[in-house]
Parts: sequence; structure tokens; C-alpha cells
Amino acid sequence: MHELSIMQALVDAVEAIVREHGARRVVRLVVEVGEMSNVIPMYLRNAFLAFREVKPFLAQAELEIRFVPLQLRCESCGFEFQPQGYRYRCVECGATQVRVVQGEELLLRDVELEVESDDPSWPVELPSHGAPRFCE
Amino acid sequence: MAEIRTVRVMESLLKANDYVAQRLRQAWDQGQTFVVNLISAPGAGKTTLLEATLPVLLSRYRVGVLEGDIETERDAERIRALGVEAVQVTTGGTCHLEAPMVEQAWRLMDNEIDFLFIENVGNLVCPASFDLGEHLRVVLLSVPEGDDKPAKYPKAFRTAQALVITKADLLETMDFSVERARREALEIQPELQVFVVSAKTGVGIPAWTQFLEQRRRQTFPDA
Ligand SMILES: Nc1nc2c(ncn2[C@@H]2O[C@H](COP(=O)(O)OP(=O)(O)O)[C@@H](O)[C@H]2O)c(=O)[nH]1
Ligand SMILES: [Mg+2]
Ligand SMILES: [Zn+2]
Repeated sequence: MHELSIMQALVDAVEAIVREHGARRVVRLVVEVGEMSNVIPMYLRNAFLAFREVKPFLAQAELEIRFVPLQLRCESCGFEFQPQGYRYRCVECGATQVRVVQGEELLLRDVELEVESDDPSWPVELPSHGAPRFCE
Repeated sequence: MAEIRTVRVMESLLKANDYVAQRLRQAWDQGQTFVVNLISAPGAGKTTLLEATLPVLLSRYRVGVLEGDIETERDAERIRALGVEAVQVTTGGTCHLEAPMVEQAWRLMDNEIDFLFIENVGNLVCPASFDLGEHLRVVLLSVPEGDDKPAKYPKAFRTAQALVITKADLLETMDFSVERARREALEIQPELQVFVVSAKTGVGIPAWTQFLEQRRRQTFPDA
């Protein structure tokens, strides 16, 4: 269940962005999870819900997970395809020299923030109640 | 007046880990320490493979081991019994090692070594996501686990450079096709070097240790 560690890293990155922009809260997060990212979207979402409980700046945030299917391009014949069963081999010509077009990524794509441009009391201090425990 | 602002980030969620991994790799390159990260399901034979490997290397190299077992010091003690320094990595309960944990443990070790073996936590999924700065990632698959593992745990096989099929002495009694395991693993990672070994009988150990020495020489040509 390394999704909790990965979510911890995501929350740290988002917290830094929230501070940098003096934002009050996060409205939405968009992450890209490749088919070959080794992350199960549902576990990532569960980890997010656990952090939302303890991080006030995430209290009303939505998490959008964009699943990215594995897509390969043959270096030999140029054919582009989505493989079955993680076979990194051209389905047209059989070559094993294939390039990953997409599907191995694990990215924080966008952070949508609510900011108040003309409030001098911002940026605010962000309270925190610790982090959820890691995988059992 | 509240406004909604969208910040385009496009950064890997593993960035913090990978940053430390890169720092470790630089330190290891500088000191010419060749680092091997061993990944497998629990009980596939990582510690036993080390027990068969270390005595071969010890005559010519200085060797150290980081043990990522969560539960006990037992594996570290098995390594120390060979006269090799073994440091237990504290994972804080996680099911895999991360680069910062390795960096902490590395600070506690004799750094003047030629080979560092990292025994990852027994798990074929989670460790595959975390670069530890290693030069060589090795995935182990034991004969009793079955030959259909690669497609079930693709990331571990995709990110490894070598596959060691362990417990080869059990091939006679078990329904395991080396050819099938090899083929399936190579579909996921065509560059994999495949070894079939038994730590019990010693079969395949020489080819495996020669490969380690050869990889170290390629990595540090003037060593
Ligand atoms: N028959 C046989 N058993 C082995 C071999 N290597 C390891 N084992 C057994 O497999 C079990 C787990 O081995 P261990 O090295 O502790 O696995 P680890 O959890 O991956 O470190 C132990 O009972 C070993 O004796 C081998 O080559 N042949
Ligand atoms: Mg062990
Ligand atoms: Zn092709």
C-alpha cells in the first residue's frame, strides 16, 4: 500500500503551493496515473480521503484522477498501439524496441486554489494535525 | 474577493524520493560503491541468495548489506554471521524502502565498500516504485511461486535489469517452466538478464556473481 506514501508526497507538494500562493484552500487536484505507474487509483483515493481529514486546506478539495492507458510506439515500424498484458513488443512487426508514449507517468498535474487577492491578512498559517500512518 | 486560480504543476509524485536517490547515486559513484537493490515477494530467497553470494565476493571485495526487513533483525544477523557489516533500515512500518531511509542507514555504515546490497522489504509491488539510487535492480522469482508472476507484477519486472529465478533445486518436483517465466519477463523488459540459481546446491551462483563483478567493472571502468 505505497499509495499512502505517494499521497504524503503529493500533500507536501500541494501544501508548498498553497503557501506560495497564499491560498486559503484547495478546490481541486488533478493527478495523472499511468496504467504502468504501479498505483491503484482506488487506493490513491482512499489515501487522499485519509489526508483530507487531517489537513484543513484540503477539507473541501476534490481529487480528480486521470487514468492514462499504456501506449507504445514501435521504433522499428512506427506503429502506435496499446499493448495487452504489458507486452513491450510491437504488435505489428514484433520488434522489442518500443518507446513509451504514455502510461508510466505518475504526476501532479493541476492544483486549483481559492485565493483572495485583496485581503492583507493572507497568506494564512496552515494548521495541521499530523499525518495518517503508513501501510500496515 | 475570492478567485479560483489553477496552477499547472506537471511534477512527478515521486520527485522528493528521486531527488534523494540521485544524491545517493552521486555519492556511490564518487566512492565507486556498486549498489544492488534486491526485490521479491516475501520468502523468495533474498537473504539466502546473499548468503551464497557474499562468500564468493568477499575474497576480492569489501561488501556491505542494508536490510529492509520490517519485522526483525534476523536477516541482518544472518549476514553478520558471514562477517559482513549489515545495517537494519528502519522503515517505520512501510511495505517498501524509500531513498531517504536508505540515506539515513548509509550514514551509519562503513562507506569504503565496493558492493552494497540492499535487501528490500518482501513485496513485489510497492518497492518497484522507489528508486534507491541503485546501479542494479534485481527481481527474484522463486520456483514455488509459479511461472506466471511477471505479468501479475509488471512494474517490478519492468524496472529491473536482472531476474534471478531462485530455488532451482525444486524445479524437478514443481510445475514451473523456466522458459515460460523467462519469456513472460522478457516481454515486459527485453533487456533483462536472466539467471537460474539454487542457493542450496550452488547451481547458477558462479554465473550470477560473475555478472555482478562484470556490471561493477562496466560501471566503474577505472576501478
Ligand atoms: N530449496 C531451496 N530453498 C531455499 C533456497 N533459497 C532459499 N530457500 C528457503 O526459502 C525460505 C526463505 O528464504 P529467505 O532467503 O529467508 O527469503 P527472503 O524473505 O526473500 O529473504 C527459507 O526457508 C530458505 O531456506 C533454495 O535455493 N532452495
Ligand atoms: Mg530476507
Ligand atoms: Zn513494429
